[in-house]
Amino acid sequence: MIKLNNVNKIYKTKSVETLALNNINLNINEGEFLSIMGPSGCGKSTLLNIMGLIDEPSQGEVSISGYRIDDYTGKSVAKFRNEHLGFIFQSFHLINDLSVIDNVELPLLYRKVSSKMRRQLAEEALIKVGLKNRMKHFPSQLSGGQKQRVAIARAIVGKPNIILADEPTGNLDSAMGNEVMDILLGLNQEEKTTIVMVTHDELMAKKTNRLIRLFDGSQVQ
Amino acid sequence: MLKNYFKIAIKVLGRRKFFTAISLFGISFTLMILMIATAFFESELGNDAPLKNRDYLVYVPMVSISKDYQDTIIQVDTHFIDNIAKYDTTLSFEPAGRSMSRSSPSYTFLRNNLSDIPFVDKMSIFSRGVSYDIFINSKKVNFGAVFVDENYWDIYNFTFIDGQAFGKTAIDNQEQVAIISKKASLDYFGTVENVIDKEVMLDGKHYTVKGVIDSGISSASEINAEIYLPYTHVKPSDLKDKSFLGSFAAIFLAKDKKSVQKIKNEINQKEKRIEIPTDLYDYDKIDIEVMTFFERYAKGIISSDKPEESFRILFGVILFFLLLFFLLPTLNLININVSRILERSSEIGVRKAFGANSQNILLQFIFENIILTFIGGVLGFLFALIVIYLVNDSQILGDTTLHFNYKVSIYSFFLCLIFGIVSGYIPAWRMSRVHIVNALKQNQL
Repeated sequence: MIKLNNVNKIYKTKSVETLALNNINLNINEGEFLSIMGPSGCGKSTLLNIMGLIDEPSQGEVSISGYRIDDYTGKSVAKFRNEHLGFIFQSFHLINDLSVIDNVELPLLYRKVSSKMRRQLAEEALIKVGLKNRMKHFPSQLSGGQKQRVAIARAIVGKPNIILADEPTGNLDSAMGNEVMDILLGLNQEEKTTIVMVTHDELMAKKTNRLIRLFDGSQVQ
Repeated sequence: MLKNYFKIAIKVLGRRKFFTAISLFGISFTLMILMIATAFFESELGNDAPLKNRDYLVYVPMVSISKDYQDTIIQVDTHFIDNIAKYDTTLSFEPAGRSMSRSSPSYTFLRNNLSDIPFVDKMSIFSRGVSYDIFINSKKVNFGAVFVDENYWDIYNFTFIDGQAFGKTAIDNQEQVAIISKKASLDYFGTVENVIDKEVMLDGKHYTVKGVIDSGISSASEINAEIYLPYTHVKPSDLKDKSFLGSFAAIFLAKDKKSVQKIKNEINQKEKRIEIPTDLYDYDKIDIEVMTFFERYAKGIISSDKPEESFRILFGVILFFLLLFFLLPTLNLININVSRILERSSEIGVRKAFGANSQNILLQFIFENIILTFIGGVLGFLFALIVIYLVNDSQILGDTTLHFNYKVSIYSFFLCLIFGIVSGYIPAWRMSRVHIVNALKQNQL
């Protein structure tokens, strides 16, 4: 499903070169729930961003569902992200000026979907995360757990086959974190969505199918 | 999608009220000035009645006759060759000046020389510059008068509030008839109703009112006069005078737009063939000033030998100031927009992560800016209406009356659109190219 071949990521400044990812080879199968762990700054998020096609590797190849990515700036990669990938961020990244339902509709704005259909799909996604009664609320009126559930609804509204979650429970207490994790597990088991999750939490990682560990940009497990 | 953009645009505007207020003030003030300028040019140069034929008009308002003088310089060189004096004489000629008379042409000159120009649909000869002091209830009112022929009413399509124009018979019979403007009717009779066949007294003569017209809104003197009389009422000597210079002007209505230039060329050719009577003038050159409506307007402001040059200079100056006036607030708005959009880089990151391409982001921010500009445009429109009312009420522009008609509204709409696009494009373009990962690092949404 997701294939990384000899992926390197180097950040260059005028005086320093930092190797963020070192020769990563990874195969993630369809329907798999993979967690990535490692200390801060080891390259977890960079790896996730590369898998999500929002960052470009310095060397190596990335292919998703057989689609090999060569151009990271064009319309085709944006379209691919829109149709195949969903993102969940640690700090939710909801748009405070939009209501919950408008936030959830966002990925559908970039598809040819009627406004009626957008609303219907967004409502379905909010029902899945148990927030139908919060549709008209604004993000500032929600708790951290609710915000992350809205972010999950936004990630799944376009029915992507891959969800990339960057520390989705990192900003939540354990009860809320478990709620969020249960939703992700449900998506993986019931809808066979492939999920890649970066986490610091061993307990959460243990709930997933596979765990890889990074250290200084290299895969160590 | 646009509904979503609209919602967020309104929210963002409400979020930073101070910035929004500054932006709106700049936009509304700029657009107000531009709308007033548009209303001014539309009033002065628009093709509303009576200037519906504006683009088909050719004017001959002035004629000059001249003679160039030369000095003859004699230079004598003396050489001694073999003790014999030899003289070498050189004659050279240098321009020593020009004697010239310039004035409106006479009736006879126009009738004799310019009444057979091809490509002309209609020609009218008229005389202006006469005004009458009238005392109404011991209050002095000044009526500017234009003496016109029958074609005048076909070339200028005045809107008649009541009555109709006088025709050839009335002119030939020297009937004491008059067409008065709405303003004159209000001044003289206190009303525009039932004034037909009433009399107006000018300089001891009684003229019967045959029509009341809506005053011309342009400042051109021959269309915003208070009273129009048959040209046969000018001093008889003015009609018979054989000299070239007098107090008339001619206007030609071209058959079509292409004929305008042809008429100008014909008149320029004609002037070369006109013989100047030696018993009247000690001149050898005649220059008929022939110009279009716009060139005549420009020449009234910027004096130049050639009306085309006056038009080019005036057009350039106006364009320069409009651009300057447009550019400064645009740059300011670009600056404000950059900081406003920078705050939203995280939102841009999210939108891009979920499938927005650079073009989507560009369109979103331009759309938002157009909304802001249109809110400013509505405010500017209201301010402009107030200012136009005050300008007209105070008569600060003299005879020119500013009107805010549908054309000015359409121009204003496009001004808003252009302003919105120009001031929104650069910041939007910059942000549309922001790297997703960098954008997402900004946490504020």
